[in-house]
Amino acid sequence: MIYLDNNATTRTAPEVFAAMQPYLTEYYGNPSSAHSLGRTMKLAVERARVQVANLLGATNSNEIVFTSCGSEADNWAIRGVLEQSPHNKHIVTTLVEHEAVRNLCAKLETQGYEVTWLGVNGRGELDLDELSAALRLDTALVSVMLANNETGVLFPIDAIGKIVHENSNAVFHVDGVQAVGKIPINLSELDVDLFALSGHKLHAPQGVGALYIKNGTPLSAQMIGGSQEGGRRAGTSAVPNIVGLGIACELATDFHPDVERLRDRLEAEVLARIPNARVNGMKEPGKRLPNTANISFEYIEGENILRLLDEAGICVSTGSACHSSTHQSSPTLHAMNVPFSIARGSIRFSLSRYTTDEEITRILEVLPGIIQKLGEMSPYEKELRALSSLP
Amino acid sequence: MYQDVINEHFLNPRNVGEVSGAGARGTAASFVCGAVVRVTLKVDGDRRIVAAKFKAAGCSFLVAANSILTSAVLSKTTAEAAVLVQSPAVLDQLGSALADKQHCGSLAREAMLNAIRNYSDAARAEWAADDALICTCFGISEQRIENEILSGELRTVAEVTQVCKAGAGCGSCYKLIEDILDDYLRTRSYQSL
Repeated sequence: MIYLDNNATTRTAPEVFAAMQPYLTEYYGNPSSAHSLGRTMKLAVERARVQVANLLGATNSNEIVFTSCGSEADNWAIRGVLEQSPHNKHIVTTLVEHEAVRNLCAKLETQGYEVTWLGVNGRGELDLDELSAALRLDTALVSVMLANNETGVLFPIDAIGKIVHENSNAVFHVDGVQAVGKIPINLSELDVDLFALSGHKLHAPQGVGALYIKNGTPLSAQMIGGSQEGGRRAGTSAVPNIVGLGIACELATDFHPDVERLRDRLEAEVLARIPNARVNGMKEPGKRLPNTANISFEYIEGENILRLLDEAGICVSTGSACHSSTHQSSPTLHAMNVPFSIARGSIRFSLSRYTTDEEITRILEVLPGIIQKLGEMSPYEKELRALSSLP
Repeated sequence: MYQDVINEHFLNPRNVGEVSGAGARGTAASFVCGAVVRVTLKVDGDRRIVAAKFKAAGCSFLVAANSILTSAVLSKTTAEAAVLVQSPAVLDQLGSALADKQHCGSLAREAMLNAIRNYSDAARAEWAADDALICTCFGISEQRIENEILSGELRTVAEVTQVCKAGAGCGSCYKLIEDILDDYLRTRSYQSL
């Protein structure tokens, strides 16, 4: 199997699994216990906290709090900030956020909050003037993602943080789930108050995430119970998963240069060989995740490309899916105003440190045939012919 | 189990493409999901479908439904094919009764039915005999329909269809039968004044 769906989830790194194993067998204590087994567990959790803090460039490891997943971290950040300032009912976020932020903000909109939804241009970029104009005295929170899960486009969170802090009293939360482990991040130098991450996006297991809370940021606890995590997040720590996240963060610090090279090779060769292929989102280096290529095959159904690639043993994802007769095109591509005939043929290839040249070669062998087969089925033959005769 | 049949037809779709020298074509498009289907047919002098092909931009279910429909109508008369396409059972093997698939199934049927109607309209237009042809599927003339209306005192298209089958196929003559009924009823009410 060739797995190019690493923005959905990643394989658990063998080193991560090995490090977790003792905590699933002989070290089964509760880190809150006073006995020596409990202390062993507590030490493991604190070691992991330092490893996460190092990858994020946090000033102090006590700024890292473990959660069950990225969505919990996002939900906590947003609800926790709003609870701190009950009179400020205004939120600023973007139209292209992950569901964890987008759907929560949409729900808050029905519960007395006012949400300003920032749009993006055709390249997937925010308009920072629009952001400045959106900020108000009663803005409690600005929540913006660092890397888009579909296109990999990066938002300039440092510039955004500065604008937010210079023009309002709002807390700035960043959904960093898709970026952590893929690009270097140094939170101590960024104007960011809260930052969410998820373990399974960087070769840790599913079921663990973390929220970075810059010291001094007012945030109410949402999970109420025991005094775990310094009283900020109750619930017995998932020690094996937390240990796994720690090791995964340590492994991620090398930022494998091969990932970007292989992504660029895949993208360049697909564009060269397939006339109706085009990239969605910015292509400039440094403005996009190095592992993501979102490519549309115009006039072809993305769902069908996915199915045929799957038959060939290749896992990818599509932003386009048909549910109960309504065609759900990707919210990000929709916000970018990508025309329907292009958006519905979008395929996301997301690579990892385990992706090889051989795998890319294999994809390049099968993909043109799949697009041709589906193209022959397409009733848009005139349009396809026009595209293939372009210089 | 449905999924296996869908998969098989999606991975090896029958009759993809366009019939060369097609005598009839039908399209259907969905404003809901954006899917588009085009069916082309070749029909021989005995009104038998000798070739049927499709092109589709849509989900795998839509592809499978077209694959099945284009296979099912082969060597059927246009009348038989029209009846078959409209019968709910024709796509049963795909689980087309499932709520989330009804839309895709209807789109495939609509394209096929439109192709048959396209054939019927053309055949009617080319009809050279004195007595105008109304129902191409069952070969029913205008005179025959008028006679049935007169003798049976028929009032609705459904009654006409019941008595002489006109309109029981692709339905492209529905409006024409309605016009004949209107004419007849108007004349009769005029005479009764």
